[in-house]
Amino acid sequence: MIINGVVIDDTFSEAFSMRATRVIITAINYKWARHAAETMTGFATSVIGCKVEAGIERAMGNHETPDGRPGMSVLLFSTDRKTLQKQLEARVGQCVLTCPTTAVFSGMDSEDQIALGKNLRYFGDGYQNSKLIGGKRFWRIPVMDGEFVCEEMAGVQKAIGGGNILIFARTVSQVLLACEAAIDSMSMLPNIILPFPGGGVRSGSKVGSKYKGLSASTNHHYCPTLKGTPGNELNKNIEAVMEIVIDGLTTEDVRLAMKRGIEAVCDLGKSQGIEKITGGNYGGKLGEHHFYLRDIVDD
Amino acid sequence: MTNTTVTFNGLASARIDMRWLSEAMTQSYTADQTNKLTLPVGNKKIEVGELFNISGNFTNNTVQLEGCTPKLDYIGHALPKGAQLIVTGDCGHYLGAQLAGGKVTIIGNTLDFAGCSMREGMIEVKGNCADYLGGALPGHKKGIAGGTILVHGNTGNFTGDLMRRGIIMVTGDIGDYCGSRMIAGTITNLGKIGKQAGMGMRRGTLLLPELPEDMASTFTNCGRHNLGYLTLLLHQLRSHDSEFKSLHSMRRRVQKYMGDTSVGGLGEILIWIG
Repeated sequence: MIINGVVIDDTFSEAFSMRATRVIITAINYKWARHAAETMTGFATSVIGCKVEAGIERAMGNHETPDGRPGMSVLLFSTDRKTLQKQLEARVGQCVLTCPTTAVFSGMDSEDQIALGKNLRYFGDGYQNSKLIGGKRFWRIPVMDGEFVCEEMAGVQKAIGGGNILIFARTVSQVLLACEAAIDSMSMLPNIILPFPGGGVRSGSKVGSKYKGLSASTNHHYCPTLKGTPGNELNKNIEAVMEIVIDGLTTEDVRLAMKRGIEAVCDLGKSQGIEKITGGNYGGKLGEHHFYLRDIVDD
Repeated sequence: MTNTTVTFNGLASARIDMRWLSEAMTQSYTADQTNKLTLPVGNKKIEVGELFNISGNFTNNTVQLEGCTPKLDYIGHALPKGAQLIVTGDCGHYLGAQLAGGKVTIIGNTLDFAGCSMREGMIEVKGNCADYLGGALPGHKKGIAGGTILVHGNTGNFTGDLMRRGIIMVTGDIGDYCGSRMIAGTITNLGKIGKQAGMGMRRGTLLLPELPEDMASTFTNCGRHNLGYLTLLLHQLRSHDSEFKSLHSMRRRVQKYMGDTSVGGLGEILIWIG
């Protein structure tokens, strides 16, 4: 399949099952809400090393948040519920509780719940108070600018992590341009995050390593400086490859994001140096969710 | 839609325990079954059918009680979730006592102990309430432990005595000793409040439009603050069709008093400002 001169590989992207939660951080203005959200989602690119993948889903207007203040919606993904809860509490405790004027609420209605403020309340040293409002319990912890309000529990649900596309281009500049176009387009969608820096990944990985104890290592098949070595799949025209990783709440969310990304890259076309789009196919070793690129384009 | 109506004929010589009505509603009795239930009235036992006219069966979730007088106690006692009782006329003591999720609406006034020890649900009074609204049943250690009481009028003394959880909303005035011995929960009104509010309270919130009369010295003035959680609370208060809708949804500035320190309490009396 070729679109605007860009080859769409006949392959699939592998993704795996995760658990996800969404929290809403509000503050006196967007500036402080964003500070908290950015800090909370820092060092959360990959579960391999960070235990959690997190990102800002979108900014929220006053009319959308529980306490009528500007807010940020943050999604967090992890491989299991227990790790997700541990990471959520640690990150809210260190990055949101500490940030001036903030409050934090669950952004997901679900019967399955994990602790959000349930244990953080002990920071209040006995001066904490709770209010049961509309069937939800909120904790009020006295802090130096007033009170930190946090919901006791946050909803959690099954989700998909590691959906991806790989973009092949003639130069680094061109692959970055394509990446940015795709990321801009995908970032408009709800229920997904692109957890890596700016949304792009240059160190795409394969499953396993020649070294014991490493679960992932550089994807030498797509490293341009290794062209011509056994296993390398790049032809002489390709000088750079970039990956975009997508975590989403459902397979539909991931599919839609991949479609938007592929369309944005193809809009640039071969004339902008884009040669090919493929997916991270690890022969089924990585995960049970397979996103076939050509099916997604045809949707 | 109301299909079942119970009408009191007013011929009782003594007070009447209305727990039979809750039993009929929860057990889905027919009118015939209900008419044969016996009631202790003074030193006699008489059948329900002698005092009440019942139209329809209790298979419906909504029942209307008409011709109610202050002689009728325990109306809506322990009604479970899904059950709804609409009462026309004044009620006796213990209205909605130990309510367990049902909804009781009264177009009239109530005597003492309305909503006492209720656990869940909603009581709406379109009139005034006497003392111990949302308090504890005599002998019990906890008052209202959940749910909402909305009074479109005034309430008497000891409103929310030993209150454990839930919200009491009063559009008018509240008498003396409001929130006495309160354990948690929220009491709010839009009118005046009597003496010694919050006496012996340990936790919980009294959210008031003005300072209570004769405020106890055992409350500490904590200053003026913008409390974020009030926006959440206001959202709930404004969700009911009442005068509380007039409060601005983003109002959050209050004067805070903490106490009652005589019992080591961390409760709060919040006075709206600004």
